[in-house]
Amino acid sequence: MTSPAISVKDLSFSYGENLAVDGISFDVAEGEVFGFLGPNGAGKSTTVRLLTGQLTPQAGTAELLGMDIVSERKKAQQEMGISYESTNLYEQLNAVENLNLFARLYKVADFDAMALLERVGLSGREKEHVANYSKGMKQRLMMARALVSRPRLLFLDEPTDGLDPVSTQTIHALIETATREGTAVFLTTHDMVEADKLSDRVAFIHEGRIVALDTPAALKQRFGLRALKVEVRLANGQTELREVTLDESGTAQAVHDLFRNEHVLTVHSEEATLEDIFIDITGRGLQG
Amino acid sequence: MDVQRIWVLMGKEIRLGLTSFMSIYVLVMPVLLSLLVALIFGDLFAQTPRLGLFDAGGNETLVQALADHPSIQTRSYASQAALEAAVARGSVEWGMSLEADFANVLREGGAVARTNTYRWGEAGARSLMLIEAAVARAVVEATGLVFDELPVNVEVGQLGKASTATWSQRLLPLLLIMAIVLSGLFIPSSSLVDEKQKGTLVALTTTPASLLDVYLAKTAVGFILSGLMALIILALNNAFAGNPGLLLLVIALGGLMSSILGVILGSLSRDMETFMGIIKVLGLVLYAPGILEIFPQVPQWIGRVFPTYYIMNPLLEISRNAARFADVALDLAILIGFIVILAFVLAREIQRQQQQLALEG
Repeated sequence: MTSPAISVKDLSFSYGENLAVDGISFDVAEGEVFGFLGPNGAGKSTTVRLLTGQLTPQAGTAELLGMDIVSERKKAQQEMGISYESTNLYEQLNAVENLNLFARLYKVADFDAMALLERVGLSGREKEHVANYSKGMKQRLMMARALVSRPRLLFLDEPTDGLDPVSTQTIHALIETATREGTAVFLTTHDMVEADKLSDRVAFIHEGRIVALDTPAALKQRFGLRALKVEVRLANGQTELREVTLDESGTAQAVHDLFRNEHVLTVHSEEATLEDIFIDITGRGLQG
Repeated sequence: MDVQRIWVLMGKEIRLGLTSFMSIYVLVMPVLLSLLVALIFGDLFAQTPRLGLFDAGGNETLVQALADHPSIQTRSYASQAALEAAVARGSVEWGMSLEADFANVLREGGAVARTNTYRWGEAGARSLMLIEAAVARAVVEATGLVFDELPVNVEVGQLGKASTATWSQRLLPLLLIMAIVLSGLFIPSSSLVDEKQKGTLVALTTTPASLLDVYLAKTAVGFILSGLMALIILALNNAFAGNPGLLLLVIALGGLMSSILGVILGSLSRDMETFMGIIKVLGLVLYAPGILEIFPQVPQWIGRVFPTYYIMNPLLEISRNAARFADVALDLAILIGFIVILAFVLAREIQRQQQQLALEG
């Protein structure tokens, strides 16, 4: 049995008296996209900093590909790529120079910057200073930089925040390709649709603790209710909206009765979003 | 510490430095000032010593011998007063007023041959030595006397205020400090502040490169640039004399102190505004020994209070007075002491900054 890409046990960290991460535990498998969701101040960033070796845990352990992030920090960092929420590229350099710099720091042999730029859709603009790039281009270059070392672990912090659909699609495709090649992806995002679409499993963090962890489907199954929204025409000619809750014992009969007794105009299925579930569990939204 | 990564990071520092206004400013400014000083005070385009002559008559052979001398320029004046005025304003560095038949009287002996000589107060030692040698040779040529038997006593009168150094010599210490400190301190510190502000430092330190690698690369680049700049400034100011090995040692130690101090300041500064605030205060302290050298009337011991004195003074002693190691050993020991203290502070600062970066992300 192979060891998980990330294995976290009872990890804790506090800033003074403020407990930012409170004894969290989870595993991430190789090739898995692990969505890490929570509002600002919930402990997401601190967790990422602990896992990427920027912070030293005050309690608990974190192993990346079997390497302890404290005692084998630099060795573990050799295997990871990180894309930050804020762009932190060398803007006076061009894209090739940015990528080559990091390839040399990772000591990547036979690195082909042009091939990587082709993958992120930046070929043709490789000689321009990064300062002239749009936000989407910079974010794609950040993603390319994270992939320079052919990492087995990718930490992506809001990788598509504020991007145009084309850039978003490019980044989603890169994530999918990376996971197919066995790379584990630790994804922190506010975008619930993105998390739902990309993540194999998601963890909700709230006040430093993981309050839910499962596949999006299982979470919806467990915490959310699926329903049918049915628009019917009444005898007086007016319309009315009816709701039939799914996954209950009387659902089939209710749907049958509705279609037999009412003049049904439209039917829409509806399921709980991850945000609905988060609010349901914590009593507060993800944007807060 | 990884030497290969430090090398890569040094390449990045130099590449970014080529496009940084701050780097261009600190590299170009001392050179421009050197050229300006040399231009204004005459050392750049008037390297040949200038001798002024007034001949009361009968000294054509001697005057011609001086005019033919390849190492000096001679200018003739119609009167002793005109000669004195030319020396006083620095048109010539040395003036000789030859009495009638000076050379003949000298050749024949018996009677006393007299000449009044005048020296410009800011004439450099090099010019004076060349002129003296040229005059002695011309006298030998014109009179046929054997040099070591010349029956001449020369009494030198000086016009204007006495000064032991030219303006360019007085400004050289400040230029040297600017060269070493500006490039050694400003380039690593401003680059570090910039990297902190733009978040690239976090990106670097989450690769296998460590913060120590990053800091060492910045220190090394500051060290190299400050050394190069010091050599350029010494060359531009014709101050390359003395023991070159010793000179290089002082330049290296000075560059090391400046670059370590620069990295510490850059690391402590939260942003460029804070950094510039620190520099405004610290700049005076760093430049003080150089500024004091411009004003010889100020007691020079005050300069010893400032750390950069221990870079500047040995450099000047070696380049001006051909000082040996023993002459500057105390200054070098103090300089090394400063470097050791700064290295210790830097080691502590790296630990603090590592935590700070993690907290700020």
